[in-house]
Amino acid sequence: MPFPKKTGSKALAVLQNLPRITLANLRPDSDARQPKTRRGRGQHGGNRSGRGHKGERQQNNRPRLGFEGGQTPFYLAIPKYGFNEGHSRRPQYQPLSLKRLQYLIDLGRVDPNQPIDLTQLVNARGVTIQPLKRDYGVQLIDEGADIFAAKINIEVQRASEGAVAAIERNGGVITTCFYDPISLGIVIKPVPFFLRGQPIPKRMLPGENMVPYYTDAGNRGYLSDPEKIQQARLALAQKYGYILPDISKDELYRMLSMRKDVRQIFFGLAPGWVVSMSEKKILKPTDEKLLKYYSS
Amino acid sequence: MLRCTLLVCGRGVGKRFSSSFSSESALPPNLLLPTNLVDPSRMKRPPPPSDCALPLLRRCDAVVPAHLSAVRAWVDTLERPDQEPLGLTQLHPDVFAVPPRLDILHEVATWQKNFKRISHANTKVRPEVRGGGKKPWKQKGSGRARHGSIRSPLWRGGGVAKGPRGPTSYYYMLPMKVRVQGLKVALSSKLAQDYLHIVDSLNMPSPDAQYLLELIRQKHWGDSVLIVDVGEEFPENILQATATLKTVNVIPAIGLNVHSMLKHEVVVLTLQAVKFLEEKLLWHDQRYTPLYPYKLPYSDLP
Repeated sequence: MPFPKKTGSKALAVLQNLPRITLANLRPDSDARQPKTRRGRGQHGGNRSGRGHKGERQQNNRPRLGFEGGQTPFYLAIPKYGFNEGHSRRPQYQPLSLKRLQYLIDLGRVDPNQPIDLTQLVNARGVTIQPLKRDYGVQLIDEGADIFAAKINIEVQRASEGAVAAIERNGGVITTCFYDPISLGIVIKPVPFFLRGQPIPKRMLPGENMVPYYTDAGNRGYLSDPEKIQQARLALAQKYGYILPDISKDELYRMLSMRKDVRQIFFGLAPGWVVSMSEKKILKPTDEKLLKYYSS
Repeated sequence: MLRCTLLVCGRGVGKRFSSSFSSESALPPNLLLPTNLVDPSRMKRPPPPSDCALPLLRRCDAVVPAHLSAVRAWVDTLERPDQEPLGLTQLHPDVFAVPPRLDILHEVATWQKNFKRISHANTKVRPEVRGGGKKPWKQKGSGRARHGSIRSPLWRGGGVAKGPRGPTSYYYMLPMKVRVQGLKVALSSKLAQDYLHIVDSLNMPSPDAQYLLELIRQKHWGDSVLIVDVGEEFPENILQATATLKTVNVIPAIGLNVHSMLKHEVVVLTLQAVKFLEEKLLWHDQRYTPLYPYKLPYSDLP
């Protein structure tokens, strides 16, 4: 900056010569208070009061929106079809572009040296998930795939092929996994859940319609075969034309290969445990039946 | 308009009057001066020069942005009634030199006044007024105007048509950042108009209220003083001294608000209070938006 500007310094200098600011001197911004139009009170709220000239407009109420004088209106003439049927029950995934992910990593809001989870993304305020609005997680979009250059271990709910290719090209690992709505609410806001004092539930498996997606190696699903994932990685590298870097020789290999168990919600915590934040303790179940239930 | 000119050149009026009546050496007894004339002996103390010999008692804890420079202010003491300042202190420009947004001050002051208001005004509507179920006289033939009930709003003793209805609440919350900005603007404008003073601590030699008033008069601070300190316990002397005084008040730093700052002419902060306020008010510039209320524990936010 050639000339550093001090905003408000001129105003503060002017203020030194003005009378003291007191409760009697305060005034709202003149543009902030606009007088409401009061109909029928003269000048431009008066005369015909915004109703027009004669006829139904001025003397009566006009019919409802869409009425066409008795002819079958457009919205009734067209037959129904289930375009939007069940739209409020369809799963939604909040989009996360690679451009935004790169922005978060560059600003230091997301740590690429730790596995990137939905919890980390929400803590960094990178995405906002609303489980009560049928959000089932986050989906990775390949906008910004050409500028993406970070080696990360990321876990999302859906990913486009271009995004998967961009991450693997930089030597990273991507997994798609499923969170049922209750587990999603817990993953997004872990602290209010721990304060409730309930044991961590086990993550439910996906429903019938989502099982094919998560068992497919091409989508890097968490239920698919690891060997098939390796073959899919090679195939994708050939398709997009880049050399697949060997992760096993990487110094961060251990971090990159960290994956959550199918029933696990948090890294390092198993289902059935109770986390007590005030006492800073973790309580684990000892009863046989509970252990059998939580490990199934 | 006359009032405006009097206000603007208020400082000079006292001097002009005293000079025109210099032969009598007293103002005439029936003279009516506006009450908000500034005391002419309240000379504006210039800010400390950059090559001042006094020690710098406090530096800003937070990082000052590169394009701004820290504001320097004198540090006084309550222990001795003489007029020499103890030292200097640095004040963060993002708290004590923000642009003077008077509209935000107005918003926050009106919010403070109105959000607690519950008006209990209630009137009875025509069905609630006792009586008035029967038609007073027949519709036609009596010669009088037609009426359905003796309690309609047209009647004496009838219900009120559009009156206040029951306890109404005027509660609303301004965004947290607007309220924080209001505090910053109030502190900056007090400092700019030389109504803000810094004191090292609230230790007083005596619990006498007159001593405090004498000190304030000697230092030419002003008529009403708001003293702000941090902590739950204050020195006994200052509490005793201000207990009987109406215009001099002590509050903890968490109780600082725009209404009190504007009501009192002068605001006096201790060094501890300055540190507390800077830390709390600057935090809002760089915080994340809350996922859940800030009262619950956060691991990454301080």
